[in-house]
Amino acid sequence: MAIKATEISDLIKQRIENFKSVTEARNVGTIVSVTDGITRIHGLADARYGEMLEFPGNTFGLALNLEQDSVGAVVLGEYKHLKEGDTVKTTNRILEVPVGRELLGRVVDSLGVPLDGKGPVKSTQTAPIERVAPGVIYRQSVSQPVQTGYKAVDSMVPIGRGQRELIIGDRQTGKTALAVDTIINQKTSGIKCIYVAIGQKQSTIANVVRKLEEHGALAHTVVVAAAASTPAAMQYIAAYSGVTMGEFFMDNGEDALIIYDDLSKQAVAYRQIALLLRRPPGREAFPGDVFYLHSRLLERSARVNAEYVEMVSKGRVKGKTGSLTGLPIIETQAGDVTAFVPTNVISITDGQIFLETDLFNAGIRPAMNAGISVSRVGGAAQTDIIKKLGGGIRLALAQYRELAAFSQFASDLDEATRRQLERGQRVTEVMKQKQYAPMSVAEMALSIYAVNNGYMDKVELKKVVAFEAALQAFAHSNYRAMLDAINGQPKFSEENQAQLKKCIEDFVATGTY
Amino acid sequence: MADRLTIARPYARAAFEEARADGGLGNWSNALAIAAEVVKDRRVEALLGNPHVTPEELAALVSGIAGAQLGEQGANFVRTLADNHRLGYLPEIATLFNTFKDAAEGVADVTVSSASALDAAQQKKLSAALEQRLRRKVRLHYELDPSLIGGAVLRTGDLVIDGSIRSRLERIAYELTA
Repeated sequence: MAIKATEISDLIKQRIENFKSVTEARNVGTIVSVTDGITRIHGLADARYGEMLEFPGNTFGLALNLEQDSVGAVVLGEYKHLKEGDTVKTTNRILEVPVGRELLGRVVDSLGVPLDGKGPVKSTQTAPIERVAPGVIYRQSVSQPVQTGYKAVDSMVPIGRGQRELIIGDRQTGKTALAVDTIINQKTSGIKCIYVAIGQKQSTIANVVRKLEEHGALAHTVVVAAAASTPAAMQYIAAYSGVTMGEFFMDNGEDALIIYDDLSKQAVAYRQIALLLRRPPGREAFPGDVFYLHSRLLERSARVNAEYVEMVSKGRVKGKTGSLTGLPIIETQAGDVTAFVPTNVISITDGQIFLETDLFNAGIRPAMNAGISVSRVGGAAQTDIIKKLGGGIRLALAQYRELAAFSQFASDLDEATRRQLERGQRVTEVMKQKQYAPMSVAEMALSIYAVNNGYMDKVELKKVVAFEAALQAFAHSNYRAMLDAINGQPKFSEENQAQLKKCIEDFVATGTY
Repeated sequence: MADRLTIARPYARAAFEEARADGGLGNWSNALAIAAEVVKDRRVEALLGNPHVTPEELAALVSGIAGAQLGEQGANFVRTLADNHRLGYLPEIATLFNTFKDAAEGVADVTVSSASALDAAQQKKLSAALEQRLRRKVRLHYELDPSLIGGAVLRTGDLVIDGSIRSRLERIAYELTA
């Protein structure tokens, strides 16, 4: 594209003409010290908490400590050019990030600056990163599902739109995989996704972005990246920037999903800032307000009613509810869920999915521990068919766990016990699922119906996975209409049951597994 | 700097309230200024942290040099500072004292930096405008700064009113590059 020289100077002329020249009165201070991105500033008597401060060289900071004679502030971005004696000005503004549909498909940093080399973000709106969560009057119960596409999750720990479900586990247990697959599964649901990467390796973030792109999921996703090499302040605010971008969709009567990967690293970044600001350390050297750090963030995930949407969108959007589902991720150390940050986030969220190293290594992937994973509100949002069928799964697994422990010592088991054990083993097999292979409601129903009704009891344990794959393939080629019907009307009706039964019996009759 | 002010503040406030009670704000201000000059002297400064010099000797030294200006209460004040090993904070105390005094008397010091010298009419206009804005009497201090190109920058405490050509150009540069 050729740009004419006149065009550019016209543009510049226009901008100069539109430039409002007002003499401004501003509060100033001078830098006393700069230490690892934390500055102490003398003066700035009128600075307010959380206000944006302007440093020399187009650098901005955040006032976090207001003391009698000084202000403690974090610098957002590079701080190497700052030195003692530099002038700092107040801006009278709270930190804002760009929001809007233009961000979809983009990778941006904590301030909304693009990192993906696809040119500037063309959004026209901005919103302050700190906002009070919608109050009780404006909330509505969680009643619609978010399908993760995982049989294990959707049948046993269902997630509803507007819910906060924690994904917790040690390193290398598939936390990010679960989250990324959930994003990939939203291709057709219309749920907009925000993936906030905090304190991760750049290569890991690049991998996630590439996988989203490969599976056509980047188009409905915003990636907010604060890699491990970015200053602690950027890692700390990344979560708030992300939730602000997600709230835009909620406020416009749409459904959105936000993943914080992960909040442990955000807490660590905040701890670094707090310690450098000389705030008193508490448990695990975290400052006193770590609970508030996460509670004010996760409270912003909500299901809001139509009145709220109408009020916030100033009447543009009528009769639509909005939601922002939160999937925070916490990385535990050696399975210790009693550490400070895990206990806090467990108590804030509406349930948790526990992923365990032992299960992962035993080949059970997703490595979810079904016994201690719960969803406190998702049941109301679960699709009817999966809810009815999922009850059997939970029961079978619970009985299996109970028996499995002591059956190891028993030499000969009675018939009923043996059958329960076998069923449990088969259910465990069926709950296994590959990465990047999310399933639709009908597909899940088919697999679960088959195992619940004993069609797999005669199948050798090693062949259960193959049986399930073959069954799915069979249904896709011969029972397409049934799958579409169930996906369209996911009811546990007589008709659907009969269809499922017929499909499975036809498949078993072919014997091709 | 900030920490020193925090330490100096209670002393300055005590001195200010004492001075206001007996109506000697001006005397105290002068006395503190002289005492501050004394402790800023390199020879005295060296003695402040010297373990061989007792607080009594230091207090006597400072009172001795500052002499009659201090008065009885001033001498007591210096002795208190010496006992608490805070004589080195006298310059900050003097500054803070003057800030309190100005606030109480409704006076503000304003530094006016301008690219070219202001004539009498401009000065008068400026002073009237500032008095209205700050709701205080103003004491103007003028300085010339050709690097401003044009206009003026007014400073009082933390407040800066920047109407210079230089800052406008900087902002245009920012708008065009951002």
